[in-house]
Amino acid sequence: MKKFRFALVGMVAVVALSLSACSGGGSSGSAASGQATFNPNEKVTLNMTWWGNADRASRYAEAIKAFNVKYPNVTVQTSFAAWADYWPARSTEAASHSLPDVMQFDLSYIREYSQNGQLLDLQSYVDNHTIDLSTFDPNLVKSGSLSGKQVGIPTSTNTLAMFINEPVLKQLGISLPDTSTYTWADYNTFLAKAAAAGAKSSDGHQLYGGNDYTGTFWFFIQWLLQKGITPFKDDGTLGFTKSDVVDFLNLTGNLRSAKQLYPIDRQVALTPKDGFTTNEAASEMSWDNFLAQFSTDSGSTIKIVPLPSVDTGKKDLFYKPSMLLASGANTKHAAAAATLINFLLNDPQVGSIFGTSKGVPAAKAQRDAIKADPSSIDGQVIAYEEQVAKQVTKPTPLPVKGFGTIEAKWLSLAQDLDYGKTTPSDLADQWFAEAAIDMK
Amino acid sequence: MMTTHLERSAGPAVRSSSSSATVRRRRKRAELLAGYGFLTPWLLGFVLLTLGPMIASLYLAFTDYNLFSNPTWAGLANFTRLFHDPDYIQSWKVTAGYVLIGTPLKLAAALVVAMLLNAKRRGQGFYRSAFYAPSLIGASVSVAIVWKAMFIDGGIVDQVGQFFGAAPGGWVGNPSKTLPMLILLTVWQFGAPMVIFLAGLKQIPRELYEAASIDGAGPLRKFRSITVPMLSPVLFFNLLLETIHAFQIFASAFIISNGTGGPARSTLFYTLYLYQRGFVSFQMGYAAAMAWVLVLVVGVITAILFRSSRTWVHYSGEMR
Repeated sequence: MKKFRFALVGMVAVVALSLSACSGGGSSGSAASGQATFNPNEKVTLNMTWWGNADRASRYAEAIKAFNVKYPNVTVQTSFAAWADYWPARSTEAASHSLPDVMQFDLSYIREYSQNGQLLDLQSYVDNHTIDLSTFDPNLVKSGSLSGKQVGIPTSTNTLAMFINEPVLKQLGISLPDTSTYTWADYNTFLAKAAAAGAKSSDGHQLYGGNDYTGTFWFFIQWLLQKGITPFKDDGTLGFTKSDVVDFLNLTGNLRSAKQLYPIDRQVALTPKDGFTTNEAASEMSWDNFLAQFSTDSGSTIKIVPLPSVDTGKKDLFYKPSMLLASGANTKHAAAAATLINFLLNDPQVGSIFGTSKGVPAAKAQRDAIKADPSSIDGQVIAYEEQVAKQVTKPTPLPVKGFGTIEAKWLSLAQDLDYGKTTPSDLADQWFAEAAIDMK
Repeated sequence: MMTTHLERSAGPAVRSSSSSATVRRRRKRAELLAGYGFLTPWLLGFVLLTLGPMIASLYLAFTDYNLFSNPTWAGLANFTRLFHDPDYIQSWKVTAGYVLIGTPLKLAAALVVAMLLNAKRRGQGFYRSAFYAPSLIGASVSVAIVWKAMFIDGGIVDQVGQFFGAAPGGWVGNPSKTLPMLILLTVWQFGAPMVIFLAGLKQIPRELYEAASIDGAGPLRKFRSITVPMLSPVLFFNLLLETIHAFQIFASAFIISNGTGGPARSTLFYTLYLYQRGFVSFQMGYAAAMAWVLVLVVGVITAILFRSSRTWVHYSGEMR
């Protein structure tokens, strides 16, 4: 009995110690090291991370080489991951207060991280001109500002576009409606005609006009804006109802039941590619900076054209900061991090390295540096944004708390819908139930 | 021991019993301390890495914790939410299907192959290693990737299936075929239980079979009345371990479904859903509640198996 008691006391002591050690996890990290100005002679190591593919990684490597030419004493250690793996990694780092010094960030998570004090307030570095935002559109910069703190700075903008796979369209033998005036109904007719054309790819798979676009949450947001509904209200609640969701999903209802959309099981099997990038679908909607990725993945000529609208010609587009740069509040080298951020945002060389692969650069110097041949991919993206500039009439919808999760839930439920395992009405019920929990 | 003996023989008969008892107690105490001293590294690891986190997780299960801010007390809210969560119920369905079908199949395959390899034949060492190898690498990420590539549209399984007249289409995108695909993956790893069955088979006395042959028993009767009862401890061991192991499946489901549990939540295993809730949706309290429910369920199943073992597990040497 004595042995047991001795062991028990010992264990409880160690457990108590370890519990007290880990319960301190919630306290906010130490305040950022003030408005320290950057000392270029100080040897500093920063860590930086981003999401993307190997192509983006090689561009970042070049950008950092250029950075080191100007600032040889700052070593930048990099890492990257795919989008889906990026966020669990960041959340784990946030829990242990070890977020990277510089990281690519997205609007869908910025509210959560900034509300919990995880991101460095860069305002002081903007004020002392370590970060130069003079050529940035002030509305764009505002999208990275929450509760008066500039927690992220947009690197570039993008807006939604329709992409056409020219070879597949030719194989289908049908024509696209006039993209400046077509409506969602016209696009649906196009999809039906494409499926009925019965063309096949070289390995015998049937060609389609496109996939079920109602599965992407951002397209729903765009459609809401076209209907004059504000998706996210200023108080952080949703501005739409179940009937809006059902109406949107029913846009492709007939196409779904007639199996005229790209088959979902093949689409799932092809991940991370999809029907469009394997040259089996003629069209797909996405952010305009995806032109580079689509072209490389498919190996075909991809054309970029405007989206359909609810009312003829009234597209009600919005600019979204395609990504932001942020710094962890726990950083020990705030000034150096701010300097790196400024370099990535403004340096013309970085502009020409990335082109429009991250979106159209926010800084004028970088836009000018992309001496883009109009027929090149960068040239096409810039030309597209110039073409639709007059149609960009809506402010950026700022995602609510828990956006990342409700976006993923939409995708998962839409997949169930495509497999025929649920109905639009059930989907809406389930999604709203999930949103209520995630937005708390 | 030696010194005590010497003391006893060397010392006078009048040496008081109390002092030798004291010496014995002191030695025992020294041994005890030495024992715990050597255990300390393991003990430290166990407490800091296993017991401590388990207790922390139990605490978190009753809180709302989003990884960023301090946990806030939520009482039983997480547990009540579990029963209304359709994804949670789906994850139980998927996991139960996997355990109830996969484990018996795996054990059956292990037993059959063990019996085949029990007979002396050429190259049996090679065959044993060949069958055992998959269980060593099977749970790894690379095998999951290869498995997915095999079952994708146009992959080897699809091609062979079409050759035999099956409809074209891979298994990865088909919600009704993803679970069978994963069950096949676990059944393929039957090598580990097989090796244990082999060891058990080798311990069955040959005379029993000879006696049965003399009495005119056929192979099926011998299997039923000799092999199974004599193997029952080993069978019990394998059943218990494989069942617990099956509940813990994560890596292969995560890789094959790209972390989504799809398509259409057909691969939404319990641990995968737990991971999604905890690390993707930042609902750690809820994930902790799920973890403890799993521990409870597996604990109950283990207790049931142990209870039932009294009826069908025959330990040789017992008067039963």
